[in-house]
Amino acid sequence: MMDLECHGVRVERNRRAVIEIESLRVRGGRTTAILGPNGSGKTTLLRVIAGLERAQAGRITFGGAPVVSGSSIAFVFQEQVFLTRSVRDNLELGLRLRRVESAQRRARVNDAASLLGVSHLLDRRADRLSGGEGRRVSLARALCLRTPLVLMDEPLEGLDERTYSRLLDELPQLLSAFDATTLLVTHNGREALQLAQDLVVLVDGRVHAAGDKRDIATRPPTSAVAEALGYFVLSAGGRSVAVAPDALRIGTGAVPFSMVVERVLDLVERREIVGRIGEARVRVPIEAHEVPPSADDVVIVHAERSNEVS
Amino acid sequence: MSELLAIDGSARAIALRTLLVSGAATALAVLIGVPIGYAIARRTFPGRTLLLGLVNTGMGMPPVVVGLIVWLLLVRSGPLGDLDLVYTQQAMVLAQFLIATPIVIGFTSASIQALPERLPDLLIVLGAGRVRRLWLLAREARLGLLVAVMAAFGAIVSEVGASMIVGGNLERSTRVLTTAIVTETSRGEVERALALGLVLLVLSFIVNLTLTIVQQRPR
Repeated sequence: MMDLECHGVRVERNRRAVIEIESLRVRGGRTTAILGPNGSGKTTLLRVIAGLERAQAGRITFGGAPVVSGSSIAFVFQEQVFLTRSVRDNLELGLRLRRVESAQRRARVNDAASLLGVSHLLDRRADRLSGGEGRRVSLARALCLRTPLVLMDEPLEGLDERTYSRLLDELPQLLSAFDATTLLVTHNGREALQLAQDLVVLVDGRVHAAGDKRDIATRPPTSAVAEALGYFVLSAGGRSVAVAPDALRIGTGAVPFSMVVERVLDLVERREIVGRIGEARVRVPIEAHEVPPSADDVVIVHAERSNEVS
Repeated sequence: MSELLAIDGSARAIALRTLLVSGAATALAVLIGVPIGYAIARRTFPGRTLLLGLVNTGMGMPPVVVGLIVWLLLVRSGPLGDLDLVYTQQAMVLAQFLIATPIVIGFTSASIQALPERLPDLLIVLGAGRVRRLWLLAREARLGLLVAVMAAFGAIVSEVGASMIVGGNLERSTRVLTTAIVTETSRGEVERALALGLVLLVLSFIVNLTLTIVQQRPR
């Protein structure tokens, strides 16, 4: 499987660098999530790789050769983008443009539609699909191209919760069906960890961490990386520590914090205290039998696990 | 009423001339206006809003004013007088082209802007070359694009002022249906004017029906 490599890539907008990457290697045959907060340049990087935007400097190669849009790439857009034709026509379009002969075209479309569970939609107008259906058809369109490089821009963004959870659960298996080097953009740390094997954390257009997700998620090297992963970055004894969102508990422990309570959330099956530890906004679960604190109370919480970040 | 049923040879020539002049002006306006409308819709550049404002103003420009400006340019003492075009069909095509182009640009720009923003990107990543991409986008926007053609043709085939001023309403060379109707009415030949009016309506209906059939074809 071929690696994707970026060297000295610089993208400017209004004379300001929005992407500045000295060197980045995305390992072939794996799924890599580009993770970062809004405005960090994730989508721009994906568009530059796809050839939809130009970099002012640098070189992007896939398997050692420049990436060619429209032959080696499948792209899944964040928005639903379809021609006002049937789902089948939309799925076939890319194959027609790549001059795939008609019997093979039909077979590939039927296979991809069946895998994504959209066979029953093939004769429907693609521009009239629901959010979940549209997302599945977009994935099927990418899948039937059978390209060695698949780029996905927030593939689960904007779905209702039920559809989101279902697709999130199904997507890792679907991604393995692509049998490609897959790069997906997300701002959701949980989603990145669930879908990808490797992570690239992008903050302000620069790569803050890249590599195996376990190495990065268990020991986020900087506070920016920790925050991108959804960790709370808290100050403890003059040091900054990253605490996973599920690692804070009421009571004292090895790494204790004073938390100023803002309110208690009643989520029916559980309750959470929302408040502040220093500048950070945090949530801590509270047991059903415990008496909830009031606003402005100070409670002691501790991190079950944490690691120091720079 | 006999005039309504028996359109004579000169009326047929006038109708044919009308179709020729307005058809040529519409074709030129589409040729120039569609790419400009597309560029305004898809690109951002300084002065874009001002340009769109000018185009929108141009969509409602009085034909008689356009006619006057073209006449001033083409008249013998004018800056383009040497071309010797005043009172010719070419001058009429030019004036009607100037009336039709902002209409084509305006409708094209609106119909392209109504397409999904990422559609051109999708076509690029699917592997469509520039020509194929434009063709596919035009097909997607065809409702709006054909409205542009119909609106432009409708505006110029029915205008009188510009054709009268730059064409001069010369009987065997620049008289078109609208100017002929004015002439016949002023002569008191109301029946003949009405007959020519009916021809104009039928002509316009046939052209628009053809375009509507293309527009409404199932996708």
